[in-house]
Amino acid sequence: MAQETNEKAAATPVTMVTLTIDGQSVTVPKGKTVLEAARSVGIDIPTFCHHPKLKSVGSCRICYVEIEKMPKLQVSCATEAMDGMVVSTNSDQVKQGRRAVIEFILLNHPLDCPTCDKGGECDLQNLTFAHGTDDSRNDFQKTRFREDDMSTTFDDKSIGPEIVLNRNRCILCYKCVRSNKDAFGEYDLGVYERGNIAQIDSAPGEQVDNPFSGNLVEICPVGALTNRDWRYKIRVWLTETTPSVDNFQSSGSNITFSKERQKNKIYRVTSRPNDDIDDGWLPDITRYGYQIVNSPDRLKKPLIKKGGTQVEVSWDEALDTIAKRLANIKDSKGSVCIGGLAAPSLDNRSLYGFSKFFRKVLHSNNVDYRSDCRMLPSSSDTICSRLAMQPFSISDLDDSDVIVVFGSDLIREHHNEYLRMRKAFNFNGARLFSITPYAVKAADIAELEVVHRPGKEEFVLQAVCQAAVEDRLVDDQTAGRFREQVGNVDLTELCRSAGISTDSVKQIARALASGKKISFVVGEIVTRSREREPIAAAICNLNKLFGLHDKGQVAILARYANSKGAQKLGVVPVPHKMLVDKMNVLWSETPSCEAHNTDAMLALLKKEEIDSLFVLGANPMMVYPDLQFAREGLERADFLVACDLFETETTQLADVVLPLCSWAEYDGDYVNLEGRNQTARAAIKPIGESRTGFDIMAALAARFEASDLFEVDAIESEISQMLAIADTPALPQEYTQVRASEDKEKDGFDIPLYLCDDPHHSGHLTEKSPSLAEFSGEAYAEISFDLANRLKLRNGESVRVESPVGKIIIPVKISEILNTDVVLLPRNFSSTPTTALMMRKRRVDMVKLSKVDD
Amino acid sequence: MNEVLKAVGNVFLKMPLGFVVTLRHFFKKPVTLDYPYKKKPMTPRYRGKHYLERYDDSTERCVCCGLCAAACPADAIYMEPEENEKGERRAKIYEINLLRCIFCGFCEEACPEEAIFLGQDYEFSDVNRNAFIYTKEEMLVKHPRKDNPFKRLYRRVRKVHGVTDKIS
Amino acid sequence: MSFYSPVITNASEATSNEKLHLFKYVEDPQQHKSEIFESHGGYTAWRKVLGGMSTQQVIDEVKNSGLRGRGGAGFPTGMKWGFVPKNSPKPTYLCCNADESEPGTCKDRVLMERDPHGVIEGMAIAAYAIGCHIMFIYIRGEFNHCIERMEEAAREARERGHLGENIYGSGYDLEMIVHSGGGAYICGEETALLNSLEGERGMSRIRPPIPAIEGLYASPTIVNNVESLAAVPHIINRGADWYKALGTEKSTGTKLFSLSGHVKRPGNFEVELGFSLEKLIYDPEYGGGILDDKKLKGVIPGGASTPFLTPEMINVGLDYESLTTVGSMLGSGAVMVFHEGTCIVWIIKKLIHFFRHESCGKCTPCREGTGWLENMINRIEAGQGQPGDIEKIEEVCGNILGRTICPLGDAAVMPIQSAIKNWREEWQYHIDHGKCQVETDFSFR
Repeated sequence: MAQETNEKAAATPVTMVTLTIDGQSVTVPKGKTVLEAARSVGIDIPTFCHHPKLKSVGSCRICYVEIEKMPKLQVSCATEAMDGMVVSTNSDQVKQGRRAVIEFILLNHPLDCPTCDKGGECDLQNLTFAHGTDDSRNDFQKTRFREDDMSTTFDDKSIGPEIVLNRNRCILCYKCVRSNKDAFGEYDLGVYERGNIAQIDSAPGEQVDNPFSGNLVEICPVGALTNRDWRYKIRVWLTETTPSVDNFQSSGSNITFSKERQKNKIYRVTSRPNDDIDDGWLPDITRYGYQIVNSPDRLKKPLIKKGGTQVEVSWDEALDTIAKRLANIKDSKGSVCIGGLAAPSLDNRSLYGFSKFFRKVLHSNNVDYRSDCRMLPSSSDTICSRLAMQPFSISDLDDSDVIVVFGSDLIREHHNEYLRMRKAFNFNGARLFSITPYAVKAADIAELEVVHRPGKEEFVLQAVCQAAVEDRLVDDQTAGRFREQVGNVDLTELCRSAGISTDSVKQIARALASGKKISFVVGEIVTRSREREPIAAAICNLNKLFGLHDKGQVAILARYANSKGAQKLGVVPVPHKMLVDKMNVLWSETPSCEAHNTDAMLALLKKEEIDSLFVLGANPMMVYPDLQFAREGLERADFLVACDLFETETTQLADVVLPLCSWAEYDGDYVNLEGRNQTARAAIKPIGESRTGFDIMAALAARFEASDLFEVDAIESEISQMLAIADTPALPQEYTQVRASEDKEKDGFDIPLYLCDDPHHSGHLTEKSPSLAEFSGEAYAEISFDLANRLKLRNGESVRVESPVGKIIIPVKISEILNTDVVLLPRNFSSTPTTALMMRKRRVDMVKLSKVDD
Repeated sequence: MNEVLKAVGNVFLKMPLGFVVTLRHFFKKPVTLDYPYKKKPMTPRYRGKHYLERYDDSTERCVCCGLCAAACPADAIYMEPEENEKGERRAKIYEINLLRCIFCGFCEEACPEEAIFLGQDYEFSDVNRNAFIYTKEEMLVKHPRKDNPFKRLYRRVRKVHGVTDKIS
Repeated sequence: MSFYSPVITNASEATSNEKLHLFKYVEDPQQHKSEIFESHGGYTAWRKVLGGMSTQQVIDEVKNSGLRGRGGAGFPTGMKWGFVPKNSPKPTYLCCNADESEPGTCKDRVLMERDPHGVIEGMAIAAYAIGCHIMFIYIRGEFNHCIERMEEAAREARERGHLGENIYGSGYDLEMIVHSGGGAYICGEETALLNSLEGERGMSRIRPPIPAIEGLYASPTIVNNVESLAAVPHIINRGADWYKALGTEKSTGTKLFSLSGHVKRPGNFEVELGFSLEKLIYDPEYGGGILDDKKLKGVIPGGASTPFLTPEMINVGLDYESLTTVGSMLGSGAVMVFHEGTCIVWIIKKLIHFFRHESCGKCTPCREGTGWLENMINRIEAGQGQPGDIEKIEEVCGNILGRTICPLGDAAVMPIQSAIKNWREEWQYHIDHGKCQVETDFSFR
């Protein structure tokens, strides 16, 4: 908090006030509360209902302080610190007030601490010990919310897939309801009744299953909300904690693992508040995703395909086989015939080791981490990749006054940034604009939501530029240069082809021109598109025209836990020049042979020009947006090695399968989307015989007699030198003409298909977490109410989704948000290979829907 | 001569005098017990082998809160909780290692549910070490109830909840 | 007579009493119609205001008149209007607090039912003074007749050009929204009312910021009682000095009192502030004396939330200052009279039941404390009191008083404290003997 204070003070001159708390002089910026002032100097005031990220409501009344010249006790959480105040936090009157509040709270509290999972870390327990009395004066029947059995304190009921509510224990601090509403924008939890039978409950007919529901449990000061995940498992005092970093989200939320001392098992994940990244809120993926570590399905021993089936073998045998085969291919056909795919969720050392093994030991440039992108360009120095390397700061979203979300469904891709955006809107009144091909959840607080025709992203951006030029929102010189270099296009024509109104475009242009601090956030829909280059060029034009870069930030957000690290360590076929230069320094040379990216590798595998593929943690069969293409490629590989935590579609095809450690099992560094390098500590020992990616690479290198290249200390220093390259490639200085190509219309296939993540899943691993599987259940196809009506479909009925290359039958889910004809398919369910519907050469995949008649 | 007489006197007078003491005890009630045929009654607060208590409707009192294990100075108690069919917290595993136990009675004092008591039984020798790991089923046997004065507050709380409790 | 509620008032149909202003025409069954209202001089103040008074002039006029809020707190109305920030980029709102749910109070109801246009005119002037273009009236949910009347009156006013766009050609736009509440006492508290109006749960907000700075939809909002607003047109018409001459020096003007309980003539009476309480109860023109000519036991002078007055104290002027000196408050002006045949514990039991039921559940002392108090008082009333209960009640009251967000907590405990202070032996008798000291007479009429 002190740091935040300093930063704010540096940004704008703030008047300071000085007050005296318990005889100690405290100086804080004006506007801070007495509570914050006291905490800033380490004076503790007890609280229940106060949360640093929510507005004060002053409902629990335990934070009383006595202020001179005020006759009554004041609640410090809602009293603004004023100059010259004399505050006492431990006078007799204050102590009496706190004692009275504890007495009131315990009046109807069931005191069932022995059965309560919060016991041991409960605020009410602690504060009762500190400020309460040892006896109760209440001799009446306590209020019970369950009326059928008054002789038990047991009143647990499930209000969501993961949340158990006990209304008897609730002390009505309203933190859960407030955070749910103010921070997460969800309305599935509420307060019902009033007076001393006021109670928290899920909204009628609804379940508390929003993607942030786990936080409600964490901030509950008592055991009124507990989660099934932690329920009756272990006592908190028997656990020990390990600081770690989230592995499912690119923002790298800081987390804490709890494990039992003697057992090799993680029991839960809690937040480790970091105001720069997560504000202490964790999405459910992060909170329950750890369960994959404990999953019984984990691969525990290496497998080798012998006579058509995979059999368990020792590590030595597996590694010897791999080394022998790779050496064979390298010698007979050349190293260009070996390719490698790595997962962008691995740690720096594994990714760097992977890249170094391929480049330095095998002398192959065929490495890539982008297995979910179609039609990648062969060069890496493209406008899109330059945009992806622009600096971005999560906390800068807080005080941005204009935030534009372009081509991203934030709640499915970037949970933390989604919450930041809500915070900026709720607390600082930011203006939000959302430009997407389908309606998204984040748009409920947007000033304007632009839903354009799918596959017309660049038209919208051009239209915004054009509107600014036409309405003279930018100075004449800039406008003139834009006209000169791009040429004049008809605004109405652009808007018509993008399917949007000119007014909305003008509104965005006005906001961009008047905004003081602008965050322009670009998401997955752009990076996964075939035409990512023209769209990126259009973004750069916009950036140049409005000077966005000088007024804030423009960036394509990295998608996975260590995408940014993979980018910075050069795990791509042709890294940026500055990275290659550094590699040449560190390794004395880099291979000069031809380099192939994921697309090219799969294509060459299909043509049998590449013989071997080494897959480290990735699963192209599940995520590559053309299943047919990926399968043909992988099936024709002479020698396929796959390393993963679980048996996946890719490992099923592999000749050798190696069990990989999860991120909770070793110390690893991860670079989040801001470029912040964070360390995740090992919480438990590796499960089974699994090994880390780096260990596998080092062991293989040893078999190529190159173990001297893989000494840990040297590798660490090389990684830090690579990461230290701070330069970001400049965006183009001139306006470019945007020329995108479009798909040929195909008759009958009229509904665009978008692949996305379920809000409770990320990638292909989280399906193995029982809690997360509980949230979303089976795979589904999300369509709008109108479309469902036309197809006469009801929620849960099966729909046939057909594309020119495949068809699947899947239950339908009617979305409350979508309002155009579009199908969203989550790609997280292995039972439903959604990528089978996609074609890599398409810009927008088109499908047709029909009802399945039983 | 005198010495001889003295010696004779010692033998015939003082020795019987000494035997009188022995003889007197011969007619007294013996202090030893005919163990194992007869057994000494233990004091009410004797701390012997543990047992677990049930409610009147025969449900277990123990909720597996872990306070006994936390209080145990010898780390002799191991437990794992689970949900019973009603969703309440119950012990799945509750084990006391009697070889480690020092019979201090802290577990009894720590128990908020009046579930565990140290009973009167002190005969539990065995030839097998594993037999000393005493399980929940072995402890949930019928046993005379014991009143613990430390539990007054808990009882008042239960009374306020409307739980009728015959222990008090 | 087409009145919905047959409440006695001190206005008579035949003679228009010159001392009456708010109640001048309430006995006229046609008064709720716009034409009749206009024929009685209605909307002249509104025309005068739009005809050339500046907002500051209106505020100054009301400020000079010394008009104080009639809802209970008695805050000067003009001063409140002055708190609205000038040149705020946000819109300002006016909200008329017609959530009249204080037990014993029924003055606003009469105004809204019988003289709705008087309320609208007052609201319109206030709205003009604070520069607001949308005004709300939040009417208690149970007041179905008031809601109908107000909606009808608002429609009529719009049709006749008193509201709407470009009123009287002055270029000023004003819309009125009649909002029906859910019938919660707490929504009479202004911040809870605003929460409720926003569609949230009716729970009071913490102050600061005060509603005049950040109220409805986080915009500057003025919340005024029906009676305060109804007095505004009279002030504009006749001038601040005329109004100031009425009442006492610090409590100016007239006030409506709802007399209820054990009196011969319960009803609504408009009197000047400073009027004697004794006279209000005993004068045949007003209360007409105690029912069945029994002796007086106690009086609650300002609604259920104010401390009791004993018979020795009733020779007091009904104004803000005088009542404070005898340890009570003017409140909303609901005078409740109890004769000697009433058990004080029984009265308190009824009151605390009301407050327990109406506590919103937001802050701990009020939520838990009122429930505990009700349990203890019920027990005493049922004759099962324990020794020490009175002291426990007093201590719990002390722990609630002044420690809650809104005044509901104070309102719940102040009558209890004064009842124990004044009639302690009666409480003790209940505990010692398990029955009531007085012969309780439940024959309420």
